[in-house]
Amino acid sequence: MSTDTIEILRRADKPIHPAPESFIKKYIFSVDHKVVGIQYFIVSGLMILLSGLFAEAIRVQLTGPHNTFLTPQQFDEAFTFHGTLMVWFGAIPLVTGAFGNFVMPLQIGARDVAFPWLNMFSFWTFPPAVLILLSSLAFGAPNAGWTEYPPVSLQAGVGIVFWTTAVFTVGIGATLTALNFLTTVIKMRAPGMTFTRMPLFVWASAVTAVLSLVATTALASALGSLFLSHVFNVPFYDPTRGGTVVLFQHMFWFYSHPAVYILIIPVFGIVSEIIPTFARKPIFGYKLIAYSTVSIALLSFMVWAHHMFTSGLGPWVTMPFMILSMLIAVPTGIKIFSWTATLFGSNLRLTTAMLFVLGFLSTFTIGGITGVMLASVPVDWHEHATYFLVAHIHYVLFGGTLMGVLGGIYYWWPKVTGRLMSEKLGKWHFWLTFIFFNATFLPMHFVGLLGMPRRVAYYDPAFHGLNLFISISAFLLAGAFLLLFANAFWSLKKGPAAGPNPWGARTLEWMISSPPPHYNFKEIPEVYATPYGYGEPLPYSAPYDQVSTTPTY
Amino acid sequence: MAVQTEALGHGHGYGHEAMTQEEYVEQRDLRFLGFLLFLFTDSIFFTAYIFAALYLRSAAPVWPPVGVERPDVNLGAVNAIILFGSGITAHYAMHRLKESRFIGYVWFTIVTIILGSLFLGGQAYEYAHIHATWSGSTFGAAFFTLTGLHGFHVLVGVVYLIVTLLQSVAGKYTPERHFGLTAATLYWHFVDVIWVVLFFLFYIY
Repeated sequence: MSTDTIEILRRADKPIHPAPESFIKKYIFSVDHKVVGIQYFIVSGLMILLSGLFAEAIRVQLTGPHNTFLTPQQFDEAFTFHGTLMVWFGAIPLVTGAFGNFVMPLQIGARDVAFPWLNMFSFWTFPPAVLILLSSLAFGAPNAGWTEYPPVSLQAGVGIVFWTTAVFTVGIGATLTALNFLTTVIKMRAPGMTFTRMPLFVWASAVTAVLSLVATTALASALGSLFLSHVFNVPFYDPTRGGTVVLFQHMFWFYSHPAVYILIIPVFGIVSEIIPTFARKPIFGYKLIAYSTVSIALLSFMVWAHHMFTSGLGPWVTMPFMILSMLIAVPTGIKIFSWTATLFGSNLRLTTAMLFVLGFLSTFTIGGITGVMLASVPVDWHEHATYFLVAHIHYVLFGGTLMGVLGGIYYWWPKVTGRLMSEKLGKWHFWLTFIFFNATFLPMHFVGLLGMPRRVAYYDPAFHGLNLFISISAFLLAGAFLLLFANAFWSLKKGPAAGPNPWGARTLEWMISSPPPHYNFKEIPEVYATPYGYGEPLPYSAPYDQVSTTPTY
Repeated sequence: MAVQTEALGHGHGYGHEAMTQEEYVEQRDLRFLGFLLFLFTDSIFFTAYIFAALYLRSAAPVWPPVGVERPDVNLGAVNAIILFGSGITAHYAMHRLKESRFIGYVWFTIVTIILGSLFLGGQAYEYAHIHATWSGSTFGAAFFTLTGLHGFHVLVGVVYLIVTLLQSVAGKYTPERHFGLTAATLYWHFVDVIWVVLFFLFYIY
């Protein structure tokens, strides 16, 4: 690949074609990365809602120690669907498919991703996968939890076939998206945008794509082996014929540990965009944040067995995994401190997006600290499969991923729709979410430390009071989301026009009109520096150097 | 719709012919990187099952387990030589096209396709005669899963080569523009390399 090829790719005078006119090509089978991003947003948003309903069903059951709202069988199905939908059908497509697709090509000054048709195809693996998964409810649903450990998962009937097929299908889309994004970031950045001038969300998207390329295929092989075990009776996991169930745990967690970073690294990117915008300061430690993302990704492939400390691996295996797991706190800490240092001494603007990011910083840090606790083998032996673990994962995935994503929604909503959201409603939404999130998940630490096991429909009456409190908080937490929908509808109907750059941000997506035109950039911009130089002239070629960075919201 | 790719042949029925050489090179380089990433992620698929095979082996007191026989190493060796030979002919086919020697390209590709099909035939013969079953033992589980996955890849490769051959007879590929052929040849070499590992894993180690 010669340098002049790259010049051709990034030259400014590419022809601009008109947008497609037919409804189907424009909104259904669209190859425009912005439309695909919105499609991902809608479907994964619906999946998160559905998954939330399963979670509420779990909480209704747990309002009493021997409640009869769900049978134990239904309870198992509820937490299996809650986890499966949230991880593969909600959060991962949301942070990669929706945010990555809409924002990343705009931030690198490209007119689309590298393979637009493939991008459309990736999205259209998603709805069929949803249908396959949900249809299993009619044929005997999977009920061994989202991890589907054999032998339990293989005893549950045909549901596991639907489950593996659905997750495999959605995984194909995730892998192709990753391949597409990585090619795009490597090959299609605007001229002058070196790697160390990329916005941090682009760094995050690229690193996530690498994780996804390595890990999702490993998951596919784990799913394949489970499928073959059920359909062709292949003895991978049958001890009577020489198989071993721990093998599945290795194959599954080799994917699923990196998967938690697929869930959180794009959110690190979102947070790194929002903080400097509202702190009105250059981000502290740009390169450290970027490189710590890379080191988190590398470490994430060497820690999978910390999910298996109770599987009898022996001290010579668990010790190195314990130390490596604890090491991850170092690059993560570098990020947390860099963000905090950016806030330090800044003229902070407490918009809804910024509030959610502050919420993210506090709750994710708590989740990170309980993570270090669980990485310690003796503690994990005590806490494994209790509600302490449930509290930890929700502090990381709700308090981390979802809190950051909500910040991202409030931040990029004006860019996507061209209209502002109500800050007043947004702040109500934030405070209710933040308070009831903590009211829901903080007490889970306590019941977990007292020994209440997860994934059981009944519990010791001694835990009744706290569980009732958790359940009521969980219902109110779900209720808080109604404010988000109200806000979205209000904004679409009556929201004031946003203008190109309401927050006064400096990354490239804010240099063009809101919503962006079909071709994104009429002329491909040239880039002279990182986007975070608040107080300096914009680092882009004309006409993009003339955009106002005075906040107008 | 995607502006730049629309200009380059998507959506509006432009073929490669409508592109300038510059645009073609740009598209080719994108696809080349994308295809390499695809092969990388595909190799992870094999790696995970190879790991599983080694894990099951380490869990077994004797390998292959009692009552299970290894496949015949002589047949496996012949099959391996056939597949590696096809890699060489695929390589020469590519060269002939680049040198504008079209007839040479066609012959080398036909030989590659025949060798690939012979390999599949050899594998079918082996499956029919081996004293192991997929569900009977962990050796069988690993052997049939991995060689089956590999055989599927060979089958896809043979079909891929046939398609590119038909396309080139129809005049799609030129010495300057032949990314489809490059991809098919790369894929074929990839399948070859995987077999080196599998041959060692099941017939020798």
